[in-house]
Amino acid sequence: MMASKLLASALRRASPATAPPLLRRRLLSTAAAVAEPYEDSSSGVVMKGVRIAGRPLYLDMQATSPVDPRVLDSMLPFYLHRYGNPHSRTHLYGWESDQAVESARSQVAALVGASPKEIVFTSGATESNNISVKGVMHFYRDKKRHVITTQTEHKCVLDSCRHLQQEGFDITYLPVSPDGIVDLERLRSAIRPDTGLVSVMAVNNEIGVIQPMEEIGRICKEFNVPFHTDAAQALGKIPIDVEKWNVSLMSLSGHKIYGPKGIGALYMRRRPRIRVEPQMNGGGQERGIRSGTVPTPLVVGMGAACELAMKEMEYDHRRISALQERLLNGIRGKIDGVVVNGSMERRYTGNLNLSFAYVEGESLLMGLKEVAVSSGSACTSASLEPSYVLRALGVDEDMAHTSIRYGIGRFTTEEEIDRAVELTVQQVEKLREMSPLYEMARAGVDIKSIQWAQH
Amino acid sequence: MASSAAAAAAPSKLEVLALLRSLLRTAGGFHDYNVREYTKRRALDGFRHNKDLADPSAVAAAFSDGKSQLEVAKRQAIVYSLYAPEVKNVMELKR
Repeated sequence: MMASKLLASALRRASPATAPPLLRRRLLSTAAAVAEPYEDSSSGVVMKGVRIAGRPLYLDMQATSPVDPRVLDSMLPFYLHRYGNPHSRTHLYGWESDQAVESARSQVAALVGASPKEIVFTSGATESNNISVKGVMHFYRDKKRHVITTQTEHKCVLDSCRHLQQEGFDITYLPVSPDGIVDLERLRSAIRPDTGLVSVMAVNNEIGVIQPMEEIGRICKEFNVPFHTDAAQALGKIPIDVEKWNVSLMSLSGHKIYGPKGIGALYMRRRPRIRVEPQMNGGGQERGIRSGTVPTPLVVGMGAACELAMKEMEYDHRRISALQERLLNGIRGKIDGVVVNGSMERRYTGNLNLSFAYVEGESLLMGLKEVAVSSGSACTSASLEPSYVLRALGVDEDMAHTSIRYGIGRFTTEEEIDRAVELTVQQVEKLREMSPLYEMARAGVDIKSIQWAQH
Repeated sequence: MASSAAAAAAPSKLEVLALLRSLLRTAGGFHDYNVREYTKRRALDGFRHNKDLADPSAVAAAFSDGKSQLEVAKRQAIVYSLYAPEVKNVMELKR
């Protein structure tokens, strides 16, 4: 094995055939970044050894969404001639950038019913979550030693909690009911005198269930505990009002709402004031909460995306709901053994997380190369482990392995949904035809009763 | 002042239809399948939604909003065409 590698590299070095393409590539300095051409208009795309006729139809809006052309339109001037540093106080370049940042701050604030002074720009929801969870607990560390969160939170909240645990803080991970909703009575009884933070996400990234935010906010108010929510998947999709929800901190993201990647925001309540220990120290930008030059083009993009979301929320919601129904009915009408993961009533309609009985999830995803979907969250889609969110719901191992998350968005068409239904049905039928489990199930054998041989 | 502004800006039926036609034509120029379909759909739905507007100032506001949207679409159709991928979306391929 090793010898063959050595031989190959020696051959490559000796072979004169490799020289010309190398030279050709050098001509353009940017060509170094392009490892190999993967697009070939005649035969489609070849990437990671898979050949696809065209660019797949995109149904993974929970991972990220395309940038809206109207958002890009607002950003481009700030990549061209309005390049000033918004913190420059001595010239026009700085002033115009500062003005743009402040107007974007108002646009973000307006969408969540906050004051612009309560919005801090960060690099994304992950950073906002880190500042919220670790920053609050570090600031109040002398008196508050306990955090309450749920088992279905995003990885960055869970990992921040784990980090706190290593520092000696106590964390309660609340279980959720089979429909994904947190039990309010359990939450209430978990609160202790030294609880410093309750962190519950608004809309789950994997299963799309909407937690009872107002009720949780009321409980937190009653016990006077700060309430943090990760609203990255909720922003612009369901109405958010920081007063109704009674949140002290809220994490927001730009690229989930047709804005640019690399920008997010943190809502921090002023009355009563919540304080955090900054994670990033430096020039004192964003009131010292998040030092570092504010990226004007990205901030402008996020502001534009928020304003658009406010205008388009009702229109988008109506459309996306209809598409979700079309997708679910289309698949359910043709195949049996399809289970929706998470509550259907309390759910953001752009998310449809389905499990297909008797098929293997990875094979299904491999077969759906023309549909860009994922098995769960993008962060964990590289692992073969079933999603921890589905396990927290109590979904059986076999069903958790076969989950697919369809994410519908502003730019999804009816034809795309129909094609996705057609391809999914085709693939599931094909895999079931090969599946001995499906044959046994049809013959009336209870799959759960099978004794699997150990190896 | 307000009445004269409204009177000056209130578009005729012909002007409104011309705006819709321009929007649809510009939408058709988008290389990206999803953006093209969205722009068409949003323009048609927007005009349908506003077709019963009676108040002249509201009509004028909607008209000027549509005009600014047309400018955005024209600019972005060019930007999108500059970076058009060589491979089309699977939805555009003949099967």
